[in-house]
Amino acid sequence: MSGRDYLGEFEHVIMLALLRLDDRAYGVTVRQEIEFRTKREVSIGAVYATLDRLEAKGYVKSRLGEPTPERGGRSKRFFRVTAKGVTAVNRTHRALQSMTDGLDLVRSYA
Amino acid sequence: MMSQESSVQPPRVATWLIGLFTSDSEAEAVPGDLLEEFSHLASKSGVAFARRWYWRQTGKTIAHLFAAGFLTAPWSVAATVVAGFFLRRLLQRLPGAVLSKATNRYLMFWSAHFQAYLWLLNGMGIAHLLISLLVGCTVALAAKGREMVAAVTLALIFCPLTGAALVWVAMHGHVEGEWVIWSCADPLAIVVGGLIVRTRRSQHRDSSPKRLGVTGV
Repeated sequence: MSGRDYLGEFEHVIMLALLRLDDRAYGVTVRQEIEFRTKREVSIGAVYATLDRLEAKGYVKSRLGEPTPERGGRSKRFFRVTAKGVTAVNRTHRALQSMTDGLDLVRSYA
Repeated sequence: MMSQESSVQPPRVATWLIGLFTSDSEAEAVPGDLLEEFSHLASKSGVAFARRWYWRQTGKTIAHLFAAGFLTAPWSVAATVVAGFFLRRLLQRLPGAVLSKATNRYLMFWSAHFQAYLWLLNGMGIAHLLISLLVGCTVALAAKGREMVAAVTLALIFCPLTGAALVWVAMHGHVEGEWVIWSCADPLAIVVGGLIVRTRRSQHRDSSPKRLGVTGV
């Protein structure tokens, strides 16, 4: 297994946001979901740069929606996690879990 | 009827700047997403707040798109930039060589028209600027889809070199203000060259039939 099979921290966060949003996942909702849950300001550029990288790796797929007037006639780009992406999320999640197993982070290191 | 908030537009300069760095696949989505959130924020928190948010997003988004543009194809961008660097080094000697040949060949003429010779000498700065502009255009044309990434990277390489040259000249002789201005304008001309190519390409892309999808889901 190569190191490339694991997701980076922000890639992991994006993939989890896509899984949560399901078919409503596009730039605005992904950005807002991450800001709402992590309480950290995220730029739309960071979201798209990561999504493009994930798409190149085959972890997500995208399609263009219909153009809407509130977006100045521009289309939304919807994203969906692929089966390969779900496997990568699970693998990364298990790796993180095994690293934190047995650690009492709140009591020992607070 | 359209409400006052929904008719409010985001800063045009910011939107233009983002358009310069977006790839084809992001050309609709990124500005569309920003406009959607801007309209929502303007109606919820006021136009001034929304404009500040938009500018903040613009700065961060450009930084990320610039880095992503480089990291997506690092070798091709690097090769284009290196080729542009040597092309400029090669071409920048051209005006001096032409002037030198013309001076030697028509020495009598220039002696009689010394003012014209001085005018030609001052025109060297313009020639260097045009060469930088040409190099910027060439690099942008070669870096298809990453025009601004390549042009700005090349300009960023020349910035410290120009600064070092200015310091060296200042330490070893007299620096003329005019020469300083011409030297500092060179990296800017490279970026302008990239801007011209990018703008032309965006106009061509916008006038072509709309793509229906990016990749099928």
